[in-house]
Amino acid sequence: MAHGMTGEMAGDTTGGLTRATAWLYVVGGAIGLAGAGALILERLAVLADPDYVPTCSINPIISCGSVMDSAQAEAFGFPNPLIGVAAFAVVVTVGVARLAGFAPPYWFQLGMQVGTTFGVVFIHWLIATSLYSLHALCPYCMVVWVVTIPIFWYTTLDTLRAGERTRAFGERLARYHSTVLAAWYVVIIVLVLVEFWDYWSTLF
Amino acid sequence: MPRSSPNIPRRGLSPNAIVTIVIVVVAVLVIGGVLLFNRSSQRDDEGGAGSGEIPAELRVQPDSNTLTTTPGNTVTLVEFLDFQCPACAAYYEHVTNAIETDYAGRITFVTRNFPIESHPLAQPAARVAEAAAKQGKYREMYHTLYDNYQDWAISEDGEQLSDDERRAATFFDRYATEIGLDLDRFRADRDSAAVQERIDADQAAGQQVGVTGTPTFFVNGKRFHPSSDQVTDVDKQLRTMLDEAM
Repeated sequence: MAHGMTGEMAGDTTGGLTRATAWLYVVGGAIGLAGAGALILERLAVLADPDYVPTCSINPIISCGSVMDSAQAEAFGFPNPLIGVAAFAVVVTVGVARLAGFAPPYWFQLGMQVGTTFGVVFIHWLIATSLYSLHALCPYCMVVWVVTIPIFWYTTLDTLRAGERTRAFGERLARYHSTVLAAWYVVIIVLVLVEFWDYWSTLF
Repeated sequence: MPRSSPNIPRRGLSPNAIVTIVIVVVAVLVIGGVLLFNRSSQRDDEGGAGSGEIPAELRVQPDSNTLTTTPGNTVTLVEFLDFQCPACAAYYEHVTNAIETDYAGRITFVTRNFPIESHPLAQPAARVAEAAAKQGKYREMYHTLYDNYQDWAISEDGEQLSDDERRAATFFDRYATEIGLDLDRFRADRDSAAVQERIDADQAAGQQVGVTGTPTFFVNGKRFHPSSDQVTDVDKQLRTMLDEAM
């Protein structure tokens, strides 16, 4: 009986989704900003006092010290969290602007797409580095992983639905928005658990 | 339902919500289940060990590698270790090295091999330690391996665990010479089937008593479960457990 309504309902949900994305930008962006900011503060503290042990270096596995000291922590020749501080501030700003009624034109949305795509690719490279090369988990970095994924994903849904030729596909994907996000998280959690299984099992 | 009402609340859950919940529930159940299963199988082993009889795997044997011994073996600490495991190296540096000194002659400290597959040099290092044992110098090799962990176990760029067996072998030969081993005999023992069998036997013994990761400790057959990740806390807790066993 709801058959005739699917179009309307989808419109309803995805309209709500656009507003939810704005909130995600504000909250997720703020969390990411805090994570990146904390990493910078820890790095400054280490610079000021080489014997300083970062607050997030708990043991050989849970450690941001070893991660921060790696070459991959400065992928572009300067500390990665500098990118985070700049980029997450933009995300928060755009979120607030959208909540205030700003309807981004298509070119603006494409800009967000480029930025968040770069972010999500970079984050996955960092995840792989952390798991398979450094064999350490840095809590503040993981905060950034957690928020970057949904920011990319919901931006992508917005972009698809904003483009004329991609709208139908975007709407279809948007109907399963949280499914994709949940599956994405589960895959990463499982990879982390498997890689550090020896460690997790010693905790129990 | 009339078509005209635009804001009908959705009946039930959307397919998206259902699939999302299913994914989350399945993930929680599977992960939680595996962790819990691990835990309860460990508890069972403890129960078995606590019921009077200490299993042979957790007692000192005539051919056990010991770091220090006490007459009568009244307190026996057994550590299952992997020479390339970073956590074991951290424990060595912050916990076990000092315990070996501080409790010298008061406990029997047995180490058993539990090389983990994901550590490429764990097996070669275990063979080296066992080959040194054949010349009565296990303890010296054990200390040399952990004291020089950064050199042989970590890659040259210092960023990951090394998998360079040839580079490690050069270091191992040097250590063997330093601690006064007959190098030819050392090399022959290192590559011998007997040494490999010993390592495999240790590993099987570990699996028998529920060891899944390293380092894992048992005091008089009772498994040690540190309640914190901080090495200083672990040190304190292990000492308390040893003191209580005296």
